[in-house]
Amino acid sequence: MTPPRVLVVDDEEDFLETMVNRLKRRGLEAKGALSGPEALQMIAAESFDVVVLDVRMPGMDGIEVLREIKNRWPFLEVIMLTGHGSVESGIQGMRLGAFDYVMKPADLEDLLGKILQAHERRSLRED
Amino acid sequence: MKSSPWIRWVVAWMGVGLSGLGSLGLFLWEGGPWVISSLGLGIGLCWAAMASLYMQLRKSQRERAILDSKIVQSHKLAALGELSAGIAHEINNPLAVIGREAELMLHLLESSSQEGETSRQELLESVREVASQVERCREITQNLLNFARKMEPVFQKVDVNRLVEDMVKLVERETQGKGIQILREYDKHLEPIRTDPPGLRQVILNLLNNARQAMEQGGTIEVRTKASSSGGAEIMIRDTGCGIPQEQLPRIFDPFFTTKAHGKGTGLGLSICHGIVDRLGGRIRVKSRVGLGSTFVVELPSHPSGLEKGS
Amino acid sequence: MNEIQKARVLLVDDEERFRATTSRLLGVRGFHVGTAASGAEALEELERNPYDVVVLDVRMPGMSGVETLGEIKRRQPGVEVLILTGHASVDTAVEIMRLGGADYLLKPCSMDELVNKIEAALERGKAQERR
Repeated sequence: MTPPRVLVVDDEEDFLETMVNRLKRRGLEAKGALSGPEALQMIAAESFDVVVLDVRMPGMDGIEVLREIKNRWPFLEVIMLTGHGSVESGIQGMRLGAFDYVMKPADLEDLLGKILQAHERRSLRED
Repeated sequence: MKSSPWIRWVVAWMGVGLSGLGSLGLFLWEGGPWVISSLGLGIGLCWAAMASLYMQLRKSQRERAILDSKIVQSHKLAALGELSAGIAHEINNPLAVIGREAELMLHLLESSSQEGETSRQELLESVREVASQVERCREITQNLLNFARKMEPVFQKVDVNRLVEDMVKLVERETQGKGIQILREYDKHLEPIRTDPPGLRQVILNLLNNARQAMEQGGTIEVRTKASSSGGAEIMIRDTGCGIPQEQLPRIFDPFFTTKAHGKGTGLGLSICHGIVDRLGGRIRVKSRVGLGSTFVVELPSHPSGLEKGS
Repeated sequence: MNEIQKARVLLVDDEERFRATTSRLLGVRGFHVGTAASGAEALEELERNPYDVVVLDVRMPGMSGVETLGEIKRRQPGVEVLILTGHASVDTAVEIMRLGGADYLLKPCSMDELVNKIEAALERGKAQERR
């Protein structure tokens, strides 16, 4: 399996930059988007394997973005990230097809493992 | 399906009562053998009646269980039928428009037209309309395909203890400070199983959420995993909440069945869980006592035989 | 132009483009066509202008096709009504006939089918009148 191409979506610029850099240092191809609409544009323009998506964003929130992604690119795996997410939105997210639901601050090793598992799932499904 | 506890009690007390009568009969021994024999006959008849009543009850409970599962099946088929009919109706409309546009285009092309430019404009309009209706059809079929795809599990190697703990930590964030304690006991010998990770996460999250909601005044949630004898996994979630009345138990996995107030909860949670566990080749069981709490057990195989592609 | 082709047809359907295109194609075949987007609009239009045949879609928002059929027959029993439906079933057919519908058509249908049924309904209407 080729290393996963990850798109991280979060409105907090510092967090976004740190996360993208950390993932790059671990050998993944990673890019960032500051909002839902930006993320959707980027996904339409280039290929990603896994999206790491913050639940709470101004404007288009995480659940809406998730819905859009699942509608347009059902094979794209999405991991939801939440600062103080509710269990209800976790259930809702998974019902909409999110691969996992992780709390911030996310342990990098943990997140990495989940990204790889999500990537594996994507390759398994593409036949 | 178990026999109701109350029937066993009735039978037991009847036994005691009749034995008492029997002892009384011995005292009436003076009344002569015919008193004894008629008493004995009476007792015998009572026992026979009780025994046959008991048998009837067991039989009707068995029949009821079969009927219940048939009802669930027919609900599912009815739901599927409704879904198909719905989609067919949806698609008929764009098809009708496309058909008309084709006829209009034929007409425009066949009729000798003095207003060449208007005709061309109209043709363009017609073609655009066809394209737009085709897009509409595509959306309809995409929705259906998405729905179907969501139902398909993708099997991966999963560390069940890790997965369950992840979900517990999520719920724990919300239960802190609300008088709800979550105790866990994970089986160290539980080997990874092949299952669908997001599907299982959904199930566990749902069960934990239900447990939390059953204990508005606080209580304890116990989460346990165990390696099953066949190499699969057993996950138990027990709460000390309000419990589920016996007569509702057979229906809790039914779609749209809910004991929550109107507007709270769709009643779909447990039926979705049941569907997921089913597709993973597992089983989900429940035990409950009103006022004491409920225990849900999810059993999963180590790998789903025959369910995986290429297996 | 023969009598049938001067007939007045009211086309009732909530899909705008479908209404426009169908009424245009009916016009080409010689019918006078009026349109309405709903059951309520159809009843209003029937008050204002005379029609011989109403072609009615069964699934519409607001007043359903079947409800509209009932109302039309109540107010103007001489008007023939054709129902356009997405699927046929014995129940639907029976219900339509019971309420006074002349016939039903499966959607999607071709112009030829539609015209044939309109003409048949008109014939029936004329035959009834003569009695």
